[in-house]
Amino acid sequence: MGPPSRETWAQRLGAFRASPSAFMAGPEGEDLGRDLLIELRSEKLSEQTKVSLLALSLEYPAQLWPDAAAAEAAATSLLDTLVLLPPRPSALRRPLLLAATTVLAAGDALGPTSGASRRLLPLLLGLASGRDLGRGFGPASEQRPLQATACECLRELESCKPGLLGDCLGLLRRLLGQEGPVQPLSLLLALALRNALVIRAKAKAGLQGLLVAGDAPTPGGPWNWALAEEGGAHPQPQAPSWPAAEDEECGLAVLEPSPEEARELRAAVAQLLDSSYLLTPVAQAQLLWLLGWALRGLRGQPPVLFKPQLVRLLGTAQLALLHAVLALKAAFGEALFTAQDEALLLRRLTLAAQHPALPLPAHLFYLHCLLSFPENCPLGPAGEEAAPLLLGPRLGRSLLPSLLHDPMALLARLHLLCLLCAEDEEEEKGQGWSPQRYLGELLAGLRQRADLDGGPRALAALCFQASYLVVRCLATQPLVLTPLTHGLAELYRARPALAPHFVDLLDRVGPELGEPLRAVLRQEVVSRAGRDEALRWHLKILAKVADGNAPSATLGFLRAAAAHCTDWGLQQALLRVCRTLMRAGVREGLADLLQALARQLDDPDGRDHARLYYILLAHLAGPKLGVALGPSLAAPALTSSLVAENQGFAAVLMVQEAPAPIRLSVGPRRAAGPGPVLQLQVEVLEPVFSLELRFRVQGQLYAPLDAVHVPCLRPGRPCSPLLLPLQPRLPAPTQLSVRALYATPAGLTCHAHLPPVPVNFEDLFLPFPQAPDDGDKQGFFEELWDSCLPKGAESRLWCPLGPQGLEALVSRHLEPFVVVAQPPTSYHVAIRLPPDSRLLLRLEAAQAGGVPVALRTDHWAVLPLAGDYLRGLSATG
Amino acid sequence: MAQRAVWLISHEPGTPLCGTVRFSRRYPTVEKRARVFNGTSYVPIPEDGPFLKALLFELRLLDDNKDFVESRDSCSHINKTSVYGLVIGGGELWPVVAFLKNNMIYACVPLVEQTLSPHPPLISISGISQSFELLFGIQDFLFLGQKNDTELNTKLNQLPDLFLQACPFGTLLDANLQNSLDSINFASVPHPQKQPAWRVGTYKGKPQVSISITEKVKSMQYDKQDIADTWQVVGAVTCKCDLEGNMPNVTISLSLPTNGSPLQDILVHPCVTSLDSAILTSSSIDTMDDSAFSGPYKFPFTPPLESFNLCYYTSQVPVPPILGFYQMKEEEIQVKITVNLKLHESVKNNFEFCEAHIPFYNRGPITHVECKVSFGQLEVFREKSLLVWIIGQKFPKSMEISLSGTVTFGAKSQEKQPFDEICIGGTAYLKLHFRILDYTLTGCYADQHSVQVFASGKPKISTHRKLISSDYYIWNSKAPAPVTYGSLLL
Repeated sequence: MGPPSRETWAQRLGAFRASPSAFMAGPEGEDLGRDLLIELRSEKLSEQTKVSLLALSLEYPAQLWPDAAAAEAAATSLLDTLVLLPPRPSALRRPLLLAATTVLAAGDALGPTSGASRRLLPLLLGLASGRDLGRGFGPASEQRPLQATACECLRELESCKPGLLGDCLGLLRRLLGQEGPVQPLSLLLALALRNALVIRAKAKAGLQGLLVAGDAPTPGGPWNWALAEEGGAHPQPQAPSWPAAEDEECGLAVLEPSPEEARELRAAVAQLLDSSYLLTPVAQAQLLWLLGWALRGLRGQPPVLFKPQLVRLLGTAQLALLHAVLALKAAFGEALFTAQDEALLLRRLTLAAQHPALPLPAHLFYLHCLLSFPENCPLGPAGEEAAPLLLGPRLGRSLLPSLLHDPMALLARLHLLCLLCAEDEEEEKGQGWSPQRYLGELLAGLRQRADLDGGPRALAALCFQASYLVVRCLATQPLVLTPLTHGLAELYRARPALAPHFVDLLDRVGPELGEPLRAVLRQEVVSRAGRDEALRWHLKILAKVADGNAPSATLGFLRAAAAHCTDWGLQQALLRVCRTLMRAGVREGLADLLQALARQLDDPDGRDHARLYYILLAHLAGPKLGVALGPSLAAPALTSSLVAENQGFAAVLMVQEAPAPIRLSVGPRRAAGPGPVLQLQVEVLEPVFSLELRFRVQGQLYAPLDAVHVPCLRPGRPCSPLLLPLQPRLPAPTQLSVRALYATPAGLTCHAHLPPVPVNFEDLFLPFPQAPDDGDKQGFFEELWDSCLPKGAESRLWCPLGPQGLEALVSRHLEPFVVVAQPPTSYHVAIRLPPDSRLLLRLEAAQAGGVPVALRTDHWAVLPLAGDYLRGLSATG
Repeated sequence: MAQRAVWLISHEPGTPLCGTVRFSRRYPTVEKRARVFNGTSYVPIPEDGPFLKALLFELRLLDDNKDFVESRDSCSHINKTSVYGLVIGGGELWPVVAFLKNNMIYACVPLVEQTLSPHPPLISISGISQSFELLFGIQDFLFLGQKNDTELNTKLNQLPDLFLQACPFGTLLDANLQNSLDSINFASVPHPQKQPAWRVGTYKGKPQVSISITEKVKSMQYDKQDIADTWQVVGAVTCKCDLEGNMPNVTISLSLPTNGSPLQDILVHPCVTSLDSAILTSSSIDTMDDSAFSGPYKFPFTPPLESFNLCYYTSQVPVPPILGFYQMKEEEIQVKITVNLKLHESVKNNFEFCEAHIPFYNRGPITHVECKVSFGQLEVFREKSLLVWIIGQKFPKSMEISLSGTVTFGAKSQEKQPFDEICIGGTAYLKLHFRILDYTLTGCYADQHSVQVFASGKPKISTHRKLISSDYYIWNSKAPAPVTYGSLLL
């Protein structure tokens, strides 16, 4: 493949510019950067084509050479190309310098270790100082533009790495004093000076003769990176925004220049300011921003240095210059602007904000500047737009809005008008044209325009934006809000299609306008017949404004409208209103309407929906209904609205699986009553309502258990124990698996599995009720004992005793079941085991370490359980 | 103070994208600084395609803006300046300085040297005014003196080279792009010491100074008891100084005749070196003292090479040049109109042209016109629903002329008929268009002998004056009309 021609390059560049990311991802992307550098040296391409290649490297270096190493290599190649240019005039030298600078600075390659930086910096400084660089740098005629370009390149490098030129301040001052090009040198010096001051102040170091530093780096000599390194890798704000700059001021105060240094600094600044007239207006503005913030707070630098420039600047129509004056105002305040000066500045600003010779964007910017004016003595809170004190009513009135203004100008001026109205709330009542009355007329005019049939959306938006602005500023003034409310209602009457704007407005304004507006709009809608062309808009509004007030009128409207809701969209809109009413707690009449809709609507989806709402209304209590109908995350009116709403309902009406906030434990045994009863203790971590505990016995050993219900449980508030009657089918221990169903405070119904509850063997123990009170207890026991055999089983075992002895063991575990006791050595125990078994124990002749136990039962399967139980007693203490 | 990117977009309604990016320029070194300064609030400069789409949406320039879209039409989405936030790729690109003029959208994004959330006030961002200067500069370069599309395309093609010159790294060096173009051409001329950066090159040839004063007169006339008529003169003084030397000094004095109206609200070109404080404080809004300064108004300056606007001013003359009334009454499908115009006796009765345009908005097409004029002739432009009363070069001796008659309209159809957001119902206006040469309403003139030039050779000095009408409205006095607060303070 031969080298790409001019046309192929044009095509390639075109494709790249159309979408750089797509191009770089494509097959040609990888080679573009490399090809571009090679082609710059091709003799076949014209200079014009090469300039367009360089333009690409000026704009997209990060895409062409994505890392520092590639950028370094590219910059080296660009510098090589520059050196290799023949000594005749060439259009490539400037763009090559610009490109090498851009690639180094944007590619993070600029630094003391970069070979390209070490080549570029002395070269630029040499060019900037007008030094003869010998052949290769073109004819003498090109030197002057190259000198300016070199200054610009240095300025950009200094911007990206502040302090880079810290060593060159003296040189730059000399050059400016001699014959160098004024503008590039002024701007470069101002920036380098500012950066040096800031860096030195941050390091809490003095100026150390920075301003009179003798020679700049000698050609070929090493570049001094010290100040740049001191400044860190970060760029410095050249014109910091005001609030941010407040902190920096204290920083500069630590610089304590010696009287001589202060004099030098003053001389440098004066030198720059004196020749500032020679700079283009935009460059003058840059100089003023740089110097203004550089000197702010610096000892020995009176802001009065700027004074000679101010009158000249105040007279101009140039936006950048007036803006720079405002920046000086913000930087120095009273130190540079007396109250009279401030008043003059405000007058010029007011004048500029409406001067017929200036364009609209300038007017708007000046209006903004007026409302954010840096006053000497601000009264209001910082950062909030306000009319400056010295603006006065006369100046202010010249800036009032009229319907003839452009929308943005109208809003800006309207804001000012609102601020004026807010100020003289008490004054001027009853006079001919108070600002309030004018405001009212203006809003009426805007509404009239919004009412224009077929008018553009922008007119409607403007009307509502103006209304919103007024409400925000004048929410406490009924004189303004009442006519506004009625005006808006009239606008709705005339053009219901603006319903989305009304809904949006209601969403954003506070109750001052919101509540009365809701009321009048509801009234407006429900007083109409239900078969309006604008029915969909009425329903949209009603879905927003319907509430518990006068529900019968609303329901009447809906009943009438239902007959005309012939398509799905309208039916859904109608049902949305029903939903709003349900949320508002309307019940009476609504159930009838929903039932009627469930029969009457054409669309099955609508009918289903109405039925669902009816069921919800009929079955759910108020709060739960509110939650169920709460805002759903799903976008409404997609496919079936049932599907859409399901997400909301599903969350509320279906049972959610959740980790249980409930802890269940078995309390002390209660050996009484006809059957065994488990005492359960419940604790909760969060409020739980309508708790239902469901139990299931593993292995069908017991009859199914009833659920236990608790209406309300709160954390830290103990509830009385829950009693769970057990109905064993066999006298055996088991485990109960437990599930909990409950409602959360948010109204959700949750389901949780709790850890199983063990039912131990001893939990089944019951005493024999028919044991006689006195008398023949021994006989009763013997009778039981004998009856166990021959059907049952008998056993003997050794029950170990703890240190407390037999008496303690019996009283702790077996007390309710003792029939005959001869403390401390002998006890006869009879235990009833439901459903119909018995366990009899003779504990006799206890010794120090244990007691021999004889046991009989009428159910052989009980024996091992009893054995385990008795052996475990001493372990449980 | 730097710009991150600049765009020039032609607005093309009716095409699929509704616009084309005609020029764009990005500044990667500035972008790098933006990333550091903006921190987590940094949003990169998008590619042209997404930017075009987002900007046109925000400016309401897409064709499909019929429906309510919250992000654009919400009442809380209030824009009071030409600075926008564009939602692109999930982030908000802010501040985008943009405006539409002559079907061209000018846009750029200035560097903000701090975090963007919350947005700092615009007044505290140095790059904002630089953005405006850049965009105004491009606009002037493209459209001043531009005659046709070919010329526009030529100029658009020059922009990449001009940006290398005027804004090589995103920091604007000169908003006057024509100047930059000249400096490319003048590059080989050795520059002497202390030459203004805005005066590139030198002039060689016969010295001459040309001064022209153009006054535009605006008016709103209501013919109502409770609403005051308003009128205002806006003047512009344009100079072209062809003088040899590096920094020739010129002083031009504007003078008023004894009964002339004082000049107010004076804005001067930045090349003016000093200003009398009386000039600075003479204001139409709030005169500082009762004795209005009536000149002479001296402007010392070093002229740029090209033609420039030395100053602008406004003035409040005692009476409007033409006073009139317009009465329009609607009677079903026709309207009855009566117009009366009277030229003030002090005004030079020698027009280049003088016409009264009577438009009818928000109505059906004109089907029949039956009108009588006391002077001049009436033309009917049915397709524009417009009557044009051609008054000609002179008012008659009586200085008063009138028109009366009826205009009948057909049924209103949605399309084609002129739409206007102000002229609703009976609200209607007539607009006067006229021009008088060698005349100013204030009487302001530049005396040839008072022009001082400190340069080699005695220059030839020429002066010109003219008065033009601009926004000269006479509202239907039989219906409500839009008013400014000023006209309510009788």
